[in-house]
Amino acid sequence: MLQIKNLSKKFGNFTAVNNITLDIQKGMLFGFLGPNGAGKTTTIKMITGLLSPSNGNIFLDGIDVWINPVDTKRRIGYIPDQPFLYDKLTGKEFLYFSGGLYSLSKTMIKQKIDDLVEALKIGSWIEKRTEEYSQGMRQRITIAAAFLHNPDLIVVDEPMVGLDPQSAFLVKKFFIMKVEEGKTIFMSTHSLNVVEEICTHAGIINNGQIIYNDSLPNLDKLITEKDNNLEQLFIQLTNEE
Amino acid sequence: MKFYLNIIKYKFLIFIRLNTKLDLASVLKNIGSSIIYIGFGIGAFLFSQKIIWFLLTQIKVGLFLLHQFISIILFIFFISVNVGNIIVSYSTLYKSNEINFLFTKPVDHTKIFVIKFLDNFFYSSTTLVLILLSVMAGYAVYFNLDFINVIILFLFGFVPFILSAGSLGVIILLIMIRLAVKVGLKRIVYSVGTLYILALILFFRINSPVELVNSVMKFYPIIDKDQYLSNLIPSLIKFLPNNWLAESSFWMLKNDYSNSIPLIITQCIISIILFSIALKLGKKWYFKTWLTNIQLIADYSLKRKNKFSFFNFERNSFFQSLTESFFKRDFFMFIREPSQVIHFSVLFFLILLFMLSVSGIHYIGLGNIFLQTGIFLAVLLFNLLLISTLSLRFIFPLISLEGESFWLIKSAPVNSALIIQKKYQFFGTIILIISFGLAYFSFYRFEFIIELNTILITLVSAITIITINLGMGGLFSNFKEKNAIRLSSSQGASIAFLINIFYMLFIVSILFIPLSNYFLSRMIGGHFNYYSLFNYTAPLLFISAILIHFFYKAAKKSLEKDF
Repeated sequence: MLQIKNLSKKFGNFTAVNNITLDIQKGMLFGFLGPNGAGKTTTIKMITGLLSPSNGNIFLDGIDVWINPVDTKRRIGYIPDQPFLYDKLTGKEFLYFSGGLYSLSKTMIKQKIDDLVEALKIGSWIEKRTEEYSQGMRQRITIAAAFLHNPDLIVVDEPMVGLDPQSAFLVKKFFIMKVEEGKTIFMSTHSLNVVEEICTHAGIINNGQIIYNDSLPNLDKLITEKDNNLEQLFIQLTNEE
Repeated sequence: MKFYLNIIKYKFLIFIRLNTKLDLASVLKNIGSSIIYIGFGIGAFLFSQKIIWFLLTQIKVGLFLLHQFISIILFIFFISVNVGNIIVSYSTLYKSNEINFLFTKPVDHTKIFVIKFLDNFFYSSTTLVLILLSVMAGYAVYFNLDFINVIILFLFGFVPFILSAGSLGVIILLIMIRLAVKVGLKRIVYSVGTLYILALILFFRINSPVELVNSVMKFYPIIDKDQYLSNLIPSLIKFLPNNWLAESSFWMLKNDYSNSIPLIITQCIISIILFSIALKLGKKWYFKTWLTNIQLIADYSLKRKNKFSFFNFERNSFFQSLTESFFKRDFFMFIREPSQVIHFSVLFFLILLFMLSVSGIHYIGLGNIFLQTGIFLAVLLFNLLLISTLSLRFIFPLISLEGESFWLIKSAPVNSALIIQKKYQFFGTIILIISFGLAYFSFYRFEFIIELNTILITLVSAITIITINLGMGGLFSNFKEKNAIRLSSSQGASIAFLINIFYMLFIVSILFIPLSNYFLSRMIGGHFNYYSLFNYTAPLLFISAILIHFFYKAAKKSLEKDF
């Protein structure tokens, strides 16, 4: 589904992402772990078209996302780490605007909004302006916007930041449901427990380089071998680097 | 004092770090900016001398009328600074995140009020000061004014004049929020808006430039046009700061300190009084009104209903879904932002007023061809200045106003050229319609071919000016700034404005000869080849096409930058 080949990003002399290669298969829920400043958000921004790579390629089912951005973006849903919305629009208006960007029909948008409002428990907040929203509600609207056009790949950056336990539970359940429907999720996170709970695969990035990439059962095996927990293993791996 | 120094130190650091990035693009941008600033400074200096020379020697208006024209311009300037300060102060004193941060610190509210007031005051005045200094230098050199007189006029005449406008703005804002609790937010905003409109109408009613010129000319040559004919000035006008500044300049020219110093002292005293009142009210009311404002917004949001159901996102339309989405989003974002609506209404009202006034001017057939050409070009220049003001205020911030929510569009299957097109379509169309109206009402008394040519020039210039502002807005985009007014008074906006001025002066200079020939042929009854006008329009079209191409590319490129 998503192939990242020798991807690098440089900001002046600083290399944020250094020659990384990843292969994310259809139906995976890939947890992308790493300490602050490791290169997670930079990688995600390159996948979603917000940052141009300095080197390397990103393919979605064999199509380079930087050569055919419009076609590939139709199949990607993006949930950023900071859910910035248009303050003066209501949640519903924001979703209609978002649907318009993907050229969805009104009927389709309406039906999807009804489903997503129900699934994400947005309720009557959908009619209020987003300037009145809490962080959790902003996050839910952003998630709804990402799923509105029924994308094959969903790229998520730190989905649990600022969420209360109910919202976090809801979001996790929602992601699992989408993966079961056959969608692929590429999710960066700091929450190791979230990776353990819902991910099928995990990768760790440190100083711009991939230092671990395997399935969750294999990760569990490694943890057992080393007589560790994920937190200790994560600290050990990222410190070794 | 320690608090002020601490804030100033960090503000200065932020400013320095924002403007001294050492990558190639930033260095080129800064060199370009400096060239434009210096070029404009020299241009304004030379232009002010030329225009004074033209008015005094070619049109022979005399020193009195010249200073009365200056007084009228200063009045418009005062109102602009005053209204601008109300709007900007509202966002910075009541809505900015920095204020929320500072209120959590053990700092006296008055200090926060003072620092934000001065921040507003200086933030938007860099270009203004540059223009003024250059114009004043041109004025001083033309009249061979003493250096000391120039310094006195600037420091004790102009600075207090601007300070009065700013202080009065903040006083009005504080009173408005206090009154809003009792009479309602909307009612108070509409009432103040109406009062400003009435003040403008009243000013031009009692101080009509046409009547003033007529009353001077009625007694000419019995009276000396270089004398100060104070009995011709309506008594109410004599109490206005713009008149004190214009009159004190007049007396300074004649080295008559006994007449100029009292006016300068009055100007200083009034500004000190207004500034003290603003501080006093700020100390007494700022924090209270800050809390009141939060309450007002909360109450308003509970009562709020969507009044524009016709543009509802759920309704179908005949537009493509992408066009419709952009149109509706921009429409709602615009009408739901009070500062945008108020500013647009004020500007639109001024334009209407100008259209009505200019359509009544009869100058075809006046004896002096230079006078006729001068008026024609002045009207055209003023039209372009209005278009430029609208573009600077509403087009320049467009890309930045995408804000931090731009991730949604950047990650959507939309290409940047399409985004530019949508942005053009909404605000560009409105400005083009206004431009057409301005050109039509300004020149409809002329022959069809002249009118057609002028409309064509105005529309081409409008498209160029819109594109310049869009491109410059992209080059200097700041996605973190949400306030459109602050964006349109930023460094990038100042440079965009200077480029607009250069472009406008180019148009005026290119049209001077053919128009003089036209007015000459009308006067002597000779033949005039109307199509020669179009020959002169060709270089204009060529330069415009280059500018449109360059700034369109710049706007497009800015959307492709890393986000």
